[in-house]
Amino acid sequence: MFGLPFDTFFLVIATPVLIILVLLFWALRW
Amino acid sequence: MDFNIEMAAIVAVYFLGLLAVGAWASKRVKTSEDYFLAGRNLGFWVFTILIVASICSGMTILGTSGLGYVTGWPTIWEQVFVPLSAAVCILLFGTKLHAIGSQRGYLTVQDYFSDRFYSKNGIRGLSAITGILVSLIYMVGQFVAISMVLSWLFGISYHSALLISALIVSAYVIMGGLYAVAWSNLIQGLLLIAGVLIVAPMVISSAGGLSYINEVLAGIDPNFVQPWFPSWYPGEAGPYAGYAFATPLFLVSFFFLLSFGLASAPHVINNVFAAREVRYFKWAPLAAFSIYVVIMYLIKITGFAGRVLTTEGEIVLPSGVSNPSDYVFILGAEHAFPSIISVFIGVIILAAVMSTTDRLMLTIGTYFGWDVYKRFLRPDAPDRMVTLVSRMTVAAAAALTLLLAWKNPPALLAWLIWMGIGLMLACYVAPLLAGLYWRRATREGAIFSMVLGLLAAGFAGYWHQFVQPLPVHFSLFGFVLSIVAIVVVSLATSKPSEKVLDETMTGFYIRKRR
Repeated sequence: MFGLPFDTFFLVIATPVLIILVLLFWALRW
Repeated sequence: MDFNIEMAAIVAVYFLGLLAVGAWASKRVKTSEDYFLAGRNLGFWVFTILIVASICSGMTILGTSGLGYVTGWPTIWEQVFVPLSAAVCILLFGTKLHAIGSQRGYLTVQDYFSDRFYSKNGIRGLSAITGILVSLIYMVGQFVAISMVLSWLFGISYHSALLISALIVSAYVIMGGLYAVAWSNLIQGLLLIAGVLIVAPMVISSAGGLSYINEVLAGIDPNFVQPWFPSWYPGEAGPYAGYAFATPLFLVSFFFLLSFGLASAPHVINNVFAAREVRYFKWAPLAAFSIYVVIMYLIKITGFAGRVLTTEGEIVLPSGVSNPSDYVFILGAEHAFPSIISVFIGVIILAAVMSTTDRLMLTIGTYFGWDVYKRFLRPDAPDRMVTLVSRMTVAAAAALTLLLAWKNPPALLAWLIWMGIGLMLACYVAPLLAGLYWRRATREGAIFSMVLGLLAAGFAGYWHQFVQPLPVHFSLFGFVLSIVAIVVVSLATSKPSEKVLDETMTGFYIRKRR
């Protein structure tokens, strides 16, 4: 993906997305 | 670059704008609360951008792209951990601190510590003095970065650059306090966001696009496209050079250092008292993180693009400077844009550095005026006097750091900055978390935690720099010790009174819903 091995691509996208989901959960549960 | 009149004009307009903000803000400063906390009256976006811009220092653009240039993808985690610190600060520390602070009238985090740990002077003095020292160290680094950019862009001497920038920043901080800092940070933050959104994609595409960049990176070192380096240098035999420090073990220490250490930094955490309403803490963590992470990724990938451009001979890093890779963002931008545009890039970088420097100055002024002068030196001082002393401290701090930065000490500079954040992690995080969320944490526990954390981080930092490199960031030792200290010493001493714990909203919750 974009010249990156799958592991790298997955991790560098999945980590911030996961954090965003947690923060979204915080906001919605407020 | 050579000096030209258009550039000077653009930068002059920018500086005048900042001074105008300072002058406008000075009219709103009536009390010390106005000066320190903008009258607890910051709106959602001013508050959110203030947190981000305080964290986002000169390191952000120059250092992030420079690190990307040197190390490739394995250090991308820094660009997750640093934005995460904004969310940690707002959500984990800020939500509760703001609630207690507005109820009990806190002006600094020392007010919280001294209340929660029922210690009138001990904790306050310790935390304030450490905070001032750490901020001074950090400020020297910021000044050097500002001057680097200014002297590079305008071909003026390092020393005149240093003087100009210090005068401008101290002028608006002295005039307008947090009002000036917050509003100028909003301008600086928006400039930075817009600038990176325009510049980064252009540089990346001029280097051949992301896929091509990654191909070239993999050709230089196959580990450049891996999520981390397999082993660290030195010690283990192997082809890895000094840049291969980002091993999984190191990244763990990096996570705590950046996400928690920065979140507890004096110039960051005190902002939470300035938000106008508690409901800001609902969406601010998400807003701060999402904006910041996108900007950081773009800057990092620009560093990768710069590596490709250098490899292909399109740009040449400067020689005769101590950290040539830190110029890669500027050079990449100059490559992708005609020269007049690149002055805006200088302004963007200046915005990033100045937005941290101004907040650091104000923090030193606040800590000295409120926590040292008002509490220890002259408890009966009138409010007007406290503000005056804080303003004078800002000037003194500017002069002192100017002096320290004057000799341009680049060799130890990076170490000093890491030392600064490392000490924050080892000193503040355990007492803050335990204080807010653990009813058993005691005064003795907090004092031991701070002192031992500081000593251990200082010792490990010295060891790492001067004796033998460590495989994790040196602050981790101090951090672990500060946790052990607060747990063990708290359990060994008698429990705090229920009254104190209830008044300071201590307990295993972030916020009580009505």
